[in-house]
Amino acid sequence: MADTPKQIFIKGIWQDNPVFRQVLGICSSLAVTNLMANTLFMSAGVIFVTAFSNLTVSALRNLIPARIRMIVQVLIIASYVMIVDILIKAINPDIHRFIGPYVGLIITNCIIMGRAEAFASQNKPWLSFLDGLAMGIGYSLVLIVIALIREPLGFGTLLGADLPGRETLWHQRTIMVMAPGAFFMLAIITWISRKLQIKTEKAE
Amino acid sequence: MDKKDPKYILLFIILISLIFGVAISAVHYTTLPMLKKNEALHKNRIISKAFLLDVEGESPSDYEAAIENNIQIDSIKIGDTKTELFEHMDSDNIGFVFRGLGFWEPISGIIVMDEGLTEIINLKILEQKETPGLGARIEEQWFTDQFKGLPLKWSADQKIIIGTTSNADKSNVVDAITGASQTSVALMNMLNENLTQFKESFEKRN
Repeated sequence: MADTPKQIFIKGIWQDNPVFRQVLGICSSLAVTNLMANTLFMSAGVIFVTAFSNLTVSALRNLIPARIRMIVQVLIIASYVMIVDILIKAINPDIHRFIGPYVGLIITNCIIMGRAEAFASQNKPWLSFLDGLAMGIGYSLVLIVIALIREPLGFGTLLGADLPGRETLWHQRTIMVMAPGAFFMLAIITWISRKLQIKTEKAE
Repeated sequence: MDKKDPKYILLFIILISLIFGVAISAVHYTTLPMLKKNEALHKNRIISKAFLLDVEGESPSDYEAAIENNIQIDSIKIGDTKTELFEHMDSDNIGFVFRGLGFWEPISGIIVMDEGLTEIINLKILEQKETPGLGARIEEQWFTDQFKGLPLKWSADQKIIIGTTSNADKSNVVDAITGASQTSVALMNMLNENLTQFKESFEKRN
């Protein structure tokens, strides 16, 4: 039986969370989370592309030949990413200068391809759209938590603004800005979430 | 038609490529005037900031007017490439567009010096595609502000030093960006190289 919208959201955000449960989209989780602003724009881009590529793949699922389905999925995803890229560049070039290099990388985010293949190619368009949204939100929430710790500890700022007592209280740790800081944070989050999930599974 | 039929597969891939290709092209061409406008506005904004011009408002025409009334634009050859040369009509400050390869892709910017080429008045980045959050911070004001008032030591190999040095004289040293040593070094090398070539051409020209 197909999932209800509520179940889809619970799965995307918690039970089957793409980052700490499926371990997908790790590259961008490590790359963009040293600044909250970059994290928010990357999250918005991924939510948009996951939702709409899921919708399109699902709408065409009965027409797409099985043999070339992956090629078609990549084509659809890449097209949406290019459209997002052009639109951001035209509407807000300042933000584009900020996150431009990462927008193109949305194409290679495994979550999007994974959801197109695992969900959208077997479910109806509306549910697929919701699944894309839920997975995108699940991904975004983990990234936001990581950025919330990395930016203050690494730069002593949040969303670019100095935190109170930046010079005295916040000793800026370079390691938090670099890749190792991201690996530590991701591992800690995965550890805590798995611990909680195992607990609930046992209780059930 | 059978979905396994090669003819169907071929037709399908051609059709879908065509549909999405047309959609992307349509978005691109509809936004093209906006993109060109944005590019021009960005350049004018950077020139105005580099020369510390008083701009009345934030609109594209305000920036255009400020540049037209204050800056004379010419060109100069640096090495083998032609680049833009700017001269402030009142203060006679000189600026030019420097270019070079960053850690990932080319970086360009505007460096402004005093009339006698003795010190840097300002430096602004025009284009860069360095790592966001790390190398891309060369655009931030705290970084570019470090160049203001830096003396230009034309006789030294390194006119500007970004990072650390064992030299006793630290007057031409600015802080590098934490976690982006490669971008900092690339910027330092391109600045030193561009400045040397610029001085040669500028002196020949005058």
